[in-house]
Amino acid sequence: MIPHNDQDDQLYRLLAAVAMQDRQAFRTLYDATSAQLFGFALRVLHREELAEEAVRDAFVSIWHAAPGYQMHLAPPLTWMVTIVRNKAQHIRRRAHAGDGSLDVEAADGLADPSSGPSDPAQLSHDARALARCMETLASGQRQAIGMAYLHGLSHDEVAERLDLPVGTVKTWIRRGLVRLRDCLAQREAA
Amino acid sequence: MILRDLPALRNSPALRDRLAAEYALGTLRGGARRRFETWLRDDPALRDVVAGWQERLAALAELDLPTAPPARVWAAIERRLDPAAIPPRTPWWQFWHCDVARPWGVLAVGACAAWLVLALSKTMPDMAPQSRQIAALNDAQSHTALVVTADTARGRLDVRVAEEVHVPTDRTLQLWAITRTGKPRSLGILPGNRSTDLALDARAIDPDVALLAISLEPKSGSPDPTGPTGPVLYKGSWANL
Repeated sequence: MIPHNDQDDQLYRLLAAVAMQDRQAFRTLYDATSAQLFGFALRVLHREELAEEAVRDAFVSIWHAAPGYQMHLAPPLTWMVTIVRNKAQHIRRRAHAGDGSLDVEAADGLADPSSGPSDPAQLSHDARALARCMETLASGQRQAIGMAYLHGLSHDEVAERLDLPVGTVKTWIRRGLVRLRDCLAQREAA
Repeated sequence: MILRDLPALRNSPALRDRLAAEYALGTLRGGARRRFETWLRDDPALRDVVAGWQERLAALAELDLPTAPPARVWAAIERRLDPAAIPPRTPWWQFWHCDVARPWGVLAVGACAAWLVLALSKTMPDMAPQSRQIAALNDAQSHTALVVTADTARGRLDVRVAEEVHVPTDRTLQLWAITRTGKPRSLGILPGNRSTDLALDARAIDPDVALLAISLEPKSGSPDPTGPTGPVLYKGSWANL
């Protein structure tokens, strides 16, 4: 239950107040996180009106789910990102199945890490470490992990999009994740 | 198939890590995902491995350029929330709500807490002073939400909850004593989430108690006997009267 940095600590206090239906704290929480979450939703959905819908649905869920939030299971931002990701993937599946207007092929996978915030100082310690470690992955590994995480694709779906055997995709993802974990652990230890 | 084999999962850290990673990534699907979720329920260490992966992957969201959403997004969120959730204003003379102190900041809030303590001490004139300890529990903005009084002579712990405290219907407030080493001890849940009179547990007023805290928990209290699982809402420490 002990927050491990200042941002977590601030978000945790806000979530605790939101759990008690404090609207003002909810607004502060929105102001502190919505730009990051909207940027993320844009990457998953590529279309502004869909990303707006994802952020709107996610914050309504955050308001209702805050009393059940458990600090020891996930830091506040991780918890909120997971909610936005679920909403965005739901919208993505719907848009893809419905009018087919969502261009799922465009910009699939993880963008070049250098396309993120131009100032690395804007990133948290964790995100900076992750960006560095993502760079150490082979581009295929990075792309496959990104397609699975951001777009909610299965091994089969990633294989189909990349026109590769499923076995290859499974191996790429598995090796990429192991490499990511080891790289992050090394940076943590350093 | 290896995924059906529970002992293999228990004994192989590499397999645990691989399945946890794929679970967090979302590529563990169908029957394998459902079986993994059954194991998760009984295996807290495995839950920690999953949480580690969720945290690593969630940092991916930060690599995107932050983009402020248009104002209509917030307006739509507000429309979707129950308007009744906005608490009504309380009359100025209801000092125990502490609303009156808010515009004047921390100083006035401190005065408000002191006022509460004074008011409570005057309402209990028949007690020997050395038998009472009192704690004002505040939220992160230093607003007093609860006042707890320990009365060793009567063996009671009196908990007064400010009326402005609105607890979601499926949740309950739980009172904890936190020791100097950071170990929480449950002192009980507040029935109906309103002011109440609990049996005084000697561990509540032990000299090693550094803090009292209130957490928000499921109806029957924290499922974890060793500490709160929900958010800690209010904190405060004992003062002798």
